[in-house]
Amino acid sequence: MQAKTPPEVIRASSGFELKPFYTAADIPASHRERIDIAPGEAPYQRGFHPGGYRSKPWRIFQLSGFGKPEDENERIKFLLRNGETGFIMEHDRNTADHCYNVDHPDVVARREDVGLTGAVMQSVRDIAICMDGLPVDSSFAHPGGAVVQHAPFALAGYWTVARRRGFQLDKIAGTGQSDFNLTYLGCVTKQQIPTDAGLRFNADIIEFCGQHLPYWVPVSIAGYNAADTGLNPAQELGTLFANAVEYLDEMKRRGTVDMQMAAKGCAGVSFRASIHIFEEAAKMRAARVMWSELLRSRYDITDPKAANLRVHCVTAGSKMTYQQPLNNIVRGTLMALAAAMGGVQSLGVSGYDEALSIPSEHAHQMSLRVQQILQEETNFCAVTDPLGGSYYVETLTAQLMEKAWEFFDEIEKAGGYLACLDSGWLHARAAENQHDEFMAMETGEANIVGVTCATEDESPYEVDGFVGTDDAFDVATERLHETLRTRHESAAGTALKNLEAVCRGSDNIMPAMLDALDADVTLGEIGDVYRDVFGDWNTPIQT
Amino acid sequence: MNQPSQKRILMSKTGLDGHWRGPTLVARALRDAGFEVIMIGMANTDEIVRAAVDEDVDLVGLNIGGHIDVALRAVRAVNEARPGLPVFAGGTVPPHAKRQLEELGVEVYPPGSQLAEIVDAAYRLTGATAPA
Repeated sequence: MQAKTPPEVIRASSGFELKPFYTAADIPASHRERIDIAPGEAPYQRGFHPGGYRSKPWRIFQLSGFGKPEDENERIKFLLRNGETGFIMEHDRNTADHCYNVDHPDVVARREDVGLTGAVMQSVRDIAICMDGLPVDSSFAHPGGAVVQHAPFALAGYWTVARRRGFQLDKIAGTGQSDFNLTYLGCVTKQQIPTDAGLRFNADIIEFCGQHLPYWVPVSIAGYNAADTGLNPAQELGTLFANAVEYLDEMKRRGTVDMQMAAKGCAGVSFRASIHIFEEAAKMRAARVMWSELLRSRYDITDPKAANLRVHCVTAGSKMTYQQPLNNIVRGTLMALAAAMGGVQSLGVSGYDEALSIPSEHAHQMSLRVQQILQEETNFCAVTDPLGGSYYVETLTAQLMEKAWEFFDEIEKAGGYLACLDSGWLHARAAENQHDEFMAMETGEANIVGVTCATEDESPYEVDGFVGTDDAFDVATERLHETLRTRHESAAGTALKNLEAVCRGSDNIMPAMLDALDADVTLGEIGDVYRDVFGDWNTPIQT
Repeated sequence: MNQPSQKRILMSKTGLDGHWRGPTLVARALRDAGFEVIMIGMANTDEIVRAAVDEDVDLVGLNIGGHIDVALRAVRAVNEARPGLPVFAGGTVPPHAKRQLEELGVEVYPPGSQLAEIVDAAYRLTGATAPA
């Protein structure tokens, strides 16, 4: 490895300069008073719960899914058997993100892609296969619906199957996602409902859960998707809260749900844990303070149930390298440590084969093992907020908050979060950072082990990409035909017409969606209604 | 005809996965190097072939995020419609898929490739003269 001249200035990912060491005098006066406030007390910098991980270790929660619903079911059971403490059902991107059935020409043209990143679930029958034997009553679940237009379908499907199995909706626990950062910023689909319709869907879900599913997190804003698109940690924070106020302002305007309930519904979020581990840990601490301050100052909410931000974290997929993939186990461990030091409630560790494919069974198992070693062997869970009081980390936490509020204000000045998605303003910020990050790597300013330095590889293992099953498209096609042939056609037709009427009006979409799922209405039919009623989002970027 | 500004590069995504970090970074680097870049986003085999012919491009860049068979079909169709037209590719391309693409003459730049390498490849594959 080449010896490098130490750079004169070293910066945090968020842009501010880092000092060679820190003393008490570096911690801003306004921040000092927070340091001695115990976990469980506002503004929650030091954690969500007084007992920290002693009372409840973080949930081990891995993205999972591919192939046919039964393939996904099998993988989820594998993860649960190996120690996962909640489960996630991924849906096939091609069909789910676009609300297409497999017979849509855009899908048929890519038939081999179908099922590659999640199971194909076009009706409640497919969802029931995927959920077969899963512990719906005792486990925390994410039934998919990461992309906004897909979320009502995914949630209604899961809830319908749960109800048919005798579980009451007001008892089951889990989380939706419907993430704007994924849908309109990080992973821009070929077709998508516009952002105003998306906001309505999410507000409908928050409202419906507020009225019927008290243990369900209706939507989950994913800072992750903003960060892995290129926004830095301070921007990730600012963006997440700018997004949250769009939801909460809408709920306030509606006035149909108590604002504390609405705020609680927005308080389950996700962040990315990247590789600058102290800054990332500080980010989780900063996030909790920002949320409780935002609720107090903007909505006059201080109820701890709403003001306690609950954080799911995923390690940065984009930091996982294609070269020397076993090194990614180390990267995953470090990023997991950063998340845990930040006191997150839930964690997924990217597979070591992340840059090659969706995780193989072994990569998935290693993602669990990393977390289990942290929880079981290191005594990590004994003490809450282990970095609290560190001159460096407290200063970082304060600086991140300041920078994040600045970015939040910039977004507000540019018209608000939705306007910044519509105009491409946020995409431009992300693209600038991506470019800078790449240039730093190319000029040798930043090294990536195994990629820009230390490139010799003695590993006896070739890690090749995981390839799931090759029959997902064919089986999905058969099942679609079977559903259409064997369902009660007039009931399905009525439910679909009713859903369309609700979409054109202003009633909450969820009751009609539940009826549609119950009547075997399929995903593509619902997508056709959306396209007809809402039209298509005018994408601000060229890909 | 050897200036990069006289060379046209078609960029497309073969899958329906909308992650855009990779292709937009590459497109920017190619434009910064002087090439004319035509981005058509997510496109199927027929759309890629039509654009390659209609736009009379000198190079095709594919961002691959899905199953390798989808990409191989597009490459074969381009090879048939415009024999000799070079194709390069990037994205989530595991080793077995990389080998299959290379057998069809496609240069593959997996994650971790340097933008400079990709730009150099564009000069070489289009026959443009790189700046001294």
